[in-house]
Amino acid sequence: MSASRTDNRRRARTRERKANLVVIGVGALVVLLAVVAVLVGSGDSVPPDEAGEVQPVEVAGSIAPLPASGNDPGVGQEAPRATGSTFEGQGTTVGEGPSLLLFVAHWCGHCQKEVPVVTDWLDGATEVRGVQIRAVSTAVDEKAPNYPPSAWLEREGWPVPTLVDDADGSVATAFGLTGFPYFVAIDGDGRVVARTSGEQPVPVLEALVDAALGQG
Amino acid sequence: MRTETVTLFLAMLAVVAQVAVVVSLVLLVAARLGVARDRVRAIADGVAPSALVLAAAVALVATVGSLWLSEGAGFPPCKLCWYQRIAMYPLSVVLAVAAWRRDAAVRRYVLPVAVIGAGISTYHVLLERFPSLEASGTCDPMNPCTIRWVERFGYLTIPTMALSAFALIITLVLVAGREEVAP
Repeated sequence: MSASRTDNRRRARTRERKANLVVIGVGALVVLLAVVAVLVGSGDSVPPDEAGEVQPVEVAGSIAPLPASGNDPGVGQEAPRATGSTFEGQGTTVGEGPSLLLFVAHWCGHCQKEVPVVTDWLDGATEVRGVQIRAVSTAVDEKAPNYPPSAWLEREGWPVPTLVDDADGSVATAFGLTGFPYFVAIDGDGRVVARTSGEQPVPVLEALVDAALGQG
Repeated sequence: MRTETVTLFLAMLAVVAQVAVVVSLVLLVAARLGVARDRVRAIADGVAPSALVLAAAVALVATVGSLWLSEGAGFPPCKLCWYQRIAMYPLSVVLAVAAWRRDAAVRRYVLPVAVIGAGISTYHVLLERFPSLEASGTCDPMNPCTIRWVERFGYLTIPTMALSAFALIITLVLVAGREEVAP
């Protein structure tokens, strides 16, 4: 009886020791990984250079945000005008018609999918049937992925003159942006004729051009 | 503390977690097929007494890590991140108490929460890889779930790390269940 109790106690002590060894082993591994992280992770980042990725803009006018569903209150309204500069520092204005505006954010997965679609569609051109295609880079965040936007668009072979929005996203707000990517079609009189957001296939892009031409 | 250092540390822990889960699955399959069944049983018996402590540690590291990523690194959690936090944060407390009390029966409460958390993480990982899965097809300008704030070793994003933690907690809690010690 007593011998069996001693056996049980010994077995329990062995199990306890094994359990402690497992925890100590895992703890040692975690400490080792922490040391590796400190040694390796201390020199692999380049301080981001935000110069040129956001720029001052001048915005005149604004339209209501695009609703999730139902009639768009922005349609028929005079489009806002925004003046600023491109990544290269050249002056540019958006909001004049007929034009199709595309708002993109570098971190947005849908924008990353849409930009190649638009690039292929344009095939190097900056207008389609007389409708100017213009872009706005906005919502820039240096901590977010795919930064900086200028490098991303250059990588994609983006042919479209792109206005760089300010840090507050003033141009995006003025045009009532509610989701990325965001499209605004403006007719020859400078009025908004259509707005939509999300990834769009080429037939929709063509339809937006038709709308800007008053053929929609 | 530098963001790069912390994310690298968390990523390496996630890799360790993934290796542990995969090895456990391989051992389980081997045992089911009758290959080295005794050895697998011995390994499980060896890990079982400390499994709850390890599971609590995994949940605690995941909790502290996620808090650091939002409060220290400044990566705002999206909607799905919050759902995963809802699943992970209580686990760090529940598992710590269970480890203290050696209450392996806690798996009945932990497993459903961890499985739900793992499900949300899986959906989040898929959304990051395939943004088109999102019904809206748009990025929320405020804070979309498709954004990858961290990407280490070419695949380890924040929800991937969370999924690794949930999977390891599930594995450890199942192993701990081998020896149900009465509270």
